[in-house]
Amino acid sequence: MISDDLYRELIDLMGYMLTSARGLLDEPQAYGPFRLVEGISRLCELLEKEDVADSTFLSRLRARIDESKFSVISDPDTFTQMLDEVVLDYAKKLKER
Amino acid sequence: MELEKAILGRRSVRKFTAKPIEKKVLNELLTAGIWSPTAGNIQPWAFICVTDPEMVHKIRVVSPGMFWSTSAVICVCSDQEKASKAAAKEGKTLSLFDCAMAAQNIMLRAYDLGLGTCVIRSFNQAAARELLGAPEHIQPELLIIVGYSDQAPKAPRRNMEVIFWEAYGQRGEAE
Repeated sequence: MISDDLYRELIDLMGYMLTSARGLLDEPQAYGPFRLVEGISRLCELLEKEDVADSTFLSRLRARIDESKFSVISDPDTFTQMLDEVVLDYAKKLKER
Repeated sequence: MELEKAILGRRSVRKFTAKPIEKKVLNELLTAGIWSPTAGNIQPWAFICVTDPEMVHKIRVVSPGMFWSTSAVICVCSDQEKASKAAAKEGKTLSLFDCAMAAQNIMLRAYDLGLGTCVIRSFNQAAARELLGAPEHIQPELLIIVGYSDQAPKAPRRNMEVIFWEAYGQRGEAE
């Protein structure tokens, strides 16, 4: 059973994802990866508050995303490098499971 | 404040402190908006100023371009009824120009009063209209998030090569 607060925040995240999906049909292509990592960052933040076992991994993932997410247009190489790193970190975490 | 200082100093600020904005200050911004140029004096617009934190939050939920919460959001809307009555074919386009000019007035006045702003188009217009209780002919066009700045973005480079004199492609130097 999840708490009322978490439920509400997940519903809010759903709103972000839904309106992102609609907006991206008309928006610049680079906004797509940005919206996805922003969504992951917000999801990490929600899960971190729930005292889950992977909170260190989640906070590291969120910090790395937040550090570079705004470079998506101004510095695409930095954004790509960030994505490559977090995907590899994620894969390592998945392998441990 | 000198106009030049406001034009050159204004930045898109997306992160704000929690300090609330006085209603009379927000009213100054809205007044600046209605004093902007408007084609044929149609004034095909409506400005909805949202300060209730719960409603600001709900606006943010349907606005992917709004990364953090803020004290106030001004929704600049076009009035399609006024726009189409005044100019059936061009009304929609002209109303967009008018809303954009009003938004710039609002943002410059905000900077003048020590506030930061950012104009946002990445939001769901239908969802915003529903949340704000606006009728069908009132179309949310732009959101201006307003607050006391918690960041000082650097000025991005400006391209002077788009300026021509007398004819396209002809460069010259200002005297």
